[in-house]
Parts: sequence; C-alpha cells; structure tokens
Amino acid sequence: MIGAKPRRILITGGNSGLGLALAQKLARRHSLLLSGRKSQTEVAEILPPGAGYVVADHGDPEMSARALVRGVRDFGWDGLDNAVLNAGTGFVAVGGVDSTDAIRQTLDVNLLAVMLQAQALYPLLRKSSGTLSLIGSVAHKGSASIPAYAASKAGLHGLARALRSEWSGDISVQVLHPGPAKTDMHDKAGYDPGRMRALFLAPDDVAAMMASAIAARRSPVTLSWVKYLNGGAYTGRRL
Amino acid sequence: MTSASKRALVTGGSAGLGAASVGWLQANGYEIVVLDRDRPWTGKTPVQFIRCDLASRTELDDVLPDLIAAGPYDLVLLNAGINATGKFEALDPRAHIDILRVNTEAPMVIAAALLESNACRSGGAMVFVSSLSHFTGYPGAASYAASKDALAIYARSMRKYAASRGVTLTVAFPGPLKTDHAERHSPEGADDSKRMDPDHAARLILADALAGKKSSIPGAGNRVFAVIGRVFPKPVTAVMRRLIYTRLKP
Repeated sequence: MIGAKPRRILITGGNSGLGLALAQKLARRHSLLLSGRKSQTEVAEILPPGAGYVVADHGDPEMSARALVRGVRDFGWDGLDNAVLNAGTGFVAVGGVDSTDAIRQTLDVNLLAVMLQAQALYPLLRKSSGTLSLIGSVAHKGSASIPAYAASKAGLHGLARALRSEWSGDISVQVLHPGPAKTDMHDKAGYDPGRMRALFLAPDDVAAMMASAIAARRSPVTLSWVKYLNGGAYTGRRL
Repeated sequence: MTSASKRALVTGGSAGLGAASVGWLQANGYEIVVLDRDRPWTGKTPVQFIRCDLASRTELDDVLPDLIAAGPYDLVLLNAGINATGKFEALDPRAHIDILRVNTEAPMVIAAALLESNACRSGGAMVFVSSLSHFTGYPGAASYAASKDALAIYARSMRKYAASRGVTLTVAFPGPLKTDHAERHSPEGADDSKRMDPDHAARLILADALAGKKSSIPGAGNRVFAVIGRVFPKPVTAVMRRLIYTRLKP
C-alpha cells in the first residue's frame, strides 16, 4: 500500500521453501529478520539483500525461542510488527506408522517450538501491536500418509484459535493453511509426489497469498487452489 | 461380554475418567493394566500397575517394552492428560512442554508402538481422549487446546492403519467432568452441578468405543455444544473467553 510504513518482520524458516519465497516478496518494502537451522555462511548467498539472519534450530524448542529473542535484540529492534512462524518439518510415515523419533521431532519442530517462540516473542509483538502468523497446512484436518505432521498442524490450529482470543486487542493472531507447493519439503520428507507435483502451486504464488492474508489479519485462512483460482495471488491487500 | 480373558490398558487410570473407566471395565470382566504416575488409590479387584510419568521421554522409553509385553489388549484407553490454565504468556514454559508431552506425544508414541507390534488384538478398540474444546477455541488453556486438537487429528489420520490391523479408533470428546482435574482448572466459584459424573462419561465413551464408533461425545448437551461450536466458531470462542479466560485468577 502506498505510504504504508515499512514493517519489522521476523520469518522463521526463512532460508528455504515458502519462508524464503515470502522473504523475497517482502524484502523490497520491509525490514526482515530471517531464521533457520543452517549457519550464516551457508545461507549468505540465498538471502534477499538487506535481510538479517539468526540461527535458530527448532529441534531444540527452548533454545530456538531464546535465539529468536536474542536475534531480534541484536538486530537492533525493540519491537516486532510481524512474526511469521513458518519453519516446519515432516516425515512420511513408512508403512503407515510414524517412528517414535519422527513423532517427537515433528511435534518439537512444528508445534512445541512455535508455542515457546510465541510466548517468548509476546512482549515484542505487544509493544508494536503486531501480528503473529502461524503457518499450518491443509493437512491439519488429518492425513493417513503423514499422521504426526497432520497432528502437529492441527495443534497449531488450536493454539491459534485460543491465542487469537486471549490476545485480542493486543496482538492479532492468525493461522494460515497453505496447500502443497513446489518446494523441496516433499523430498526432505521422503515423499515422491510423482505426477501430482504438477498440481502443486508455485512457492511464489503461495507466498503472495500468505502476504495478503497476513495483511488482512484474518484467521483461519486456507491458501490453496480455491483461493488461487479466485485471484488470491494477485488481488487482496498488500503487505 | 464377561469372558475373563479380555484385557484392557488404561493410561492415567488412577484417577478421574481413567479410574471410572477401570471400574466399568472390571465390572465387565476385563483384566486391567493401569499406567500412571501415581498408584491406583482404590479397587477391589487388583490391576497390573506400570508406573510412568509420561512427561518424561526416558521413562516412557523404559516402560514401552513392558507395555507391549502386558498385551495383547482388547481395549486401549489413552486417557492420561494434564492441563494448566492461565494467560498463555504468563505460564511457565515448562507447563507448556509437559502438556504437549503428556497429552499428545505420549499417546501418539504408545498408540504407534502398540499397533506396530500387534499388541492390540484384531477386533479390538483404541480410544484417544481428546476434549470438547476441539469444537471451539479455548482461551485460558491454549497449550491444552493445541494438545487435544493434535491428538484428535492424529487418531483420525491413523484410522486407516489401525483398520489394517483390525483395530477401531475412537476419539472421545468429554466435556467438563466432576473430577479433581476439572476442579483445578475451572474459574473460582464455577457451578459444578453441570459437570458430568465421570462414571457416566466412562460408560458412554466405552460403549461407543466397543461399538467401533469414530467419535464419542458423552452427553446430549455436549453434543449440542459441539455442533454450535462447529457452526459458529467465533461467537462460541467469545463465550468461552467470557466464561473462562476473563474469570481466571491473575
């Protein structure tokens, strides 16, 4: 929007997939701090110019929350206009059942880390009446091929519903549920979508829908083909 | 119904809905294995007791083999749960961690292990105890709400796999019960006359589970609440905020 002030935006998992696509979209207008598991030198070439970077491994939820708060402070910010908690992981359940390790890792990264990060970032978001966006998945209603992943995303849905009510007036909380996108998530999860991949949306289009959903502050919002065919990637509010 | 060879596992079987379920199952001829942090406090008929604090990954890993060996089960009731109410940002992060471990991670790990190792008999049933909060927002217990939503969706996602082993999965969505658990986590001075008797809830849930139903919402009032919560999620969450969140002790 013309005249709108640049925002201070934190995006977790901002060094790949949808997080990076969103960062690239917002980098021109806004001030960005991205987080990821990889080291600064590994991601230096990938990041959009001007974006800050902080290492935060969601595999250790408590430490990741502390790392983000420290990262925001070291970047010189005393508040946050937007936090997009986007980082996630997933494993295909081999033979239909998740291993104990896969269950624990999925819940830690996708749900517990987000809970503790939301709690740790609360004062920063509150200070600037910011928006907290949790990135779920269309799988939040259940999926037989990725049960633990679906469960973790359903947890985010419930967390957002409760927090949106608890923090109303102070912080806008929302959960966005993107459909499958052409990112490397499926390879990492050990899933070959085959020809189905042709039906996945481009990360850039999903990122565009994410940006307008973040600007609109509604919740919950499903970002898939229905929205895309309604012009979701080209219309709507701009962040 | 009353053949002595039937076996049931009840997690969190020492109190509340779990203890009520143990009572009903024993009355119906089941041999019981109870997994809990605390010893069962009553019981005319003895149970096999496995001690485990489900908030601890190492404790659960230690007892998993015993849990599998104590089978095979005709019925598994994954009931153990904890809550912490208050402003999300003000609660100890440790509480959020424990809630997720006990309410979500542990039942998922146990269910996966039992199904994979064939510790559930074909024709058997497994019950995941979620919460009526699944049908609304639950301000004042955000991590609890998240944990119970995650569990409900895990059960739904596992239904196909369980069916391949001949096991039906039921998700129970009990509303407020007359238990110590509910007492601790409702606002001060809340009317407890509307809470359901745990024995009654246990009977309804287990009947649904044995009938192989996908979900069980004990009580007509709770079923109405679930429908309204689904159709009007925002107004119902606003009511929950007024009834619970704004009345919590600071």
